[in-house]
Amino acid sequence: MTTPSAKPKAMIQDNTRCIGCRACMIACKSWNNRPADHTEFFAGPGYQNPVDLDANNYTLITFNEIVTGAQPDWVFGRQLCMHCAHPACASACPTTALTKTALGPVVFNESRCIGCRACMQACPFLIPKYDYENLNPKIHKCTFCADRIETGLKPACATVCPTAAISFGDRDDMVAEAKRRIATAPGTYIPEIYGLDDVGGTSVLHLSSVPFEQIGYITGLPKTPMPDLTHRWLRVTPHFFALLYAVFGALTWIMHRRSSRAESKDKDHTT
Amino acid sequence: MNWRVRLTRWDLILLAITAVGVVLAVVRYAGGIGSVANINNAYPWGWWVGFGIMTMIALGGVGFTITLLVEILGRHRYHVLLRPAVLMGLLCYASAIVMLMVELGRPWKVWMILVSWAPSAALYEVGWCAFLYLNVLVLEFAQVPLEELGWGRALKVLRVIYIPIMLLGVTLSHLHQSSLGTLLTLIPHKINALWWSDQLPLIFLFSAMMAGPALAILEHLVAARWLGFPPNMDMLAGLARIEAWLVGLLLVFRIGDLVVRGAVDAALSGTSFAASFWVEIGFGLLLPLVLLMMPEVRESRAGLATACSLVVAGVLLHRLNVAVFGLRVRHWETYVPSLGEIGISLGIAAGAAFVFGVLVRILPIHEELPPTSSAPESRAAAPAAAAWHGARGVS
Repeated sequence: MTTPSAKPKAMIQDNTRCIGCRACMIACKSWNNRPADHTEFFAGPGYQNPVDLDANNYTLITFNEIVTGAQPDWVFGRQLCMHCAHPACASACPTTALTKTALGPVVFNESRCIGCRACMQACPFLIPKYDYENLNPKIHKCTFCADRIETGLKPACATVCPTAAISFGDRDDMVAEAKRRIATAPGTYIPEIYGLDDVGGTSVLHLSSVPFEQIGYITGLPKTPMPDLTHRWLRVTPHFFALLYAVFGALTWIMHRRSSRAESKDKDHTT
Repeated sequence: MNWRVRLTRWDLILLAITAVGVVLAVVRYAGGIGSVANINNAYPWGWWVGFGIMTMIALGGVGFTITLLVEILGRHRYHVLLRPAVLMGLLCYASAIVMLMVELGRPWKVWMILVSWAPSAALYEVGWCAFLYLNVLVLEFAQVPLEELGWGRALKVLRVIYIPIMLLGVTLSHLHQSSLGTLLTLIPHKINALWWSDQLPLIFLFSAMMAGPALAILEHLVAARWLGFPPNMDMLAGLARIEAWLVGLLLVFRIGDLVVRGAVDAALSGTSFAASFWVEIGFGLLLPLVLLMMPEVRESRAGLATACSLVVAGVLLHRLNVAVFGLRVRHWETYVPSLGEIGISLGIAAGAAFVFGVLVRILPIHEELPPTSSAPESRAAAPAAAAWHGARGVS
């Protein structure tokens, strides 16, 4: 496969440019063959529909009513897999059904999944979803259109955005572009790139005009990779195993010798 | 071995609960997890993992704890507890595996863990260790039926490999009991500060080791009453003294951990989380510690039963607090376990208890009892034995 650049990719989700048209959601459904949902108007906040990400919706434009001036206004946000540089989901998967690829996407290999849902539990962004009603359920989440970007195409959502709120390219370039936008229009953006170094950096970089927690983003996450938390313990496991086995073996031997000595002493006394 | 077991009222109650669980499990397999469970996209594990797996594995720690005490540390006075402990361990692990088969979305793929290489996943290690340890428990326990059946050659092999296998079992237990805690260290953003700690692996290991002797004491007391042998109170008092140390050390570790992490404020906050935390610490650690430190409690059946029940309940509450109650996801709907989830998990536990009760009556698991396998006259002979048999339901 020829790719224009084998460097890791990234996407900018510039929420200040988003008009809430949800074309990205439609393009996503279309490319990933997700069925249409029967949803209810005003089931979620305002016009947000559906309420949450689920097995049929890999991305979602969130509608957040925020008072910025005299009048309340919609400020949009977007949920999709962040494609972490060090994904907690993949680190938690006991069967490597989730893997991080060189170009950035964290991809799901259905044939390896046992359905333990450790990835769902692990994800700091609450992204992987499950089809609990299905008898052969799968993990569902944004694929970063791994199949498209391998061939040099953009993810489906990035091709349809009418206001260029979604940009796609090499991560280095995208980081530079995000910084440039914030620097050139400080009144439009808050000086923060969501995903730049959160949980060790992600492949999706969000920009916003208001603090991210106001538009429903999960904030306060560590700047270090989540898997570090478990690696600390797990990497000593083999040593721990060898050490414990040896210590227990030695103890058993010592105790056996002690009790057999005591026994032979008893015999000496009786005879 | 006497295969004829007269079922008692208790057996029938356990079987009835198991039957309810089986019916609910059929619904789950016919209609998917969503047809019986409240677990959802924000709370993917819930009660099944918190109770059916995490608590069951913790209680199954009785097997390795008593093995460690008797076989490795050479405390042979507790030898009478070994067989019941290994059988309880075996059945707890078996229940956890059955629970896993219900809980996994694709149980038919579970072998995939054994052909994967995922050393960064705590669940990978738990899966491998629990799988290997279940085999160890089977090999350890197999000696009992093989003795009864008189399969000398198989027995000989088992006895030759016993020491390395036993050591392997105790070592594996240390690894996966702690790894269940490691699993949860990954989600500091979801677990309430009262329970999330980077020391969760040690807390899980220590609390499983603490549950072990408590469960062994309880089993001895219940079996003595039910099967009609006098409980060995001297031995139990000795074990209770060890248990007091284990409870005390965990209490110090838990409070120390809370202080070091700066979560004392959360504990004094007056929320329902803080209430649940203090119930766990107060009734699951502090009260049993005070009780077990009193010689008169250690020497009384009721006292020991109370203290040890509190310890076991405390471990149960800890697992539920850390994996179910204290686990909250911001912005998302809350989770309350469904009756279906609870019913299936209780059905599995009741099934395990039933099997335990039957095996205790047909196999020489309690050394305190006369052998059941010998010639018929030995059973008919002693009037005292007849009374026991009545109570044991062995005809």
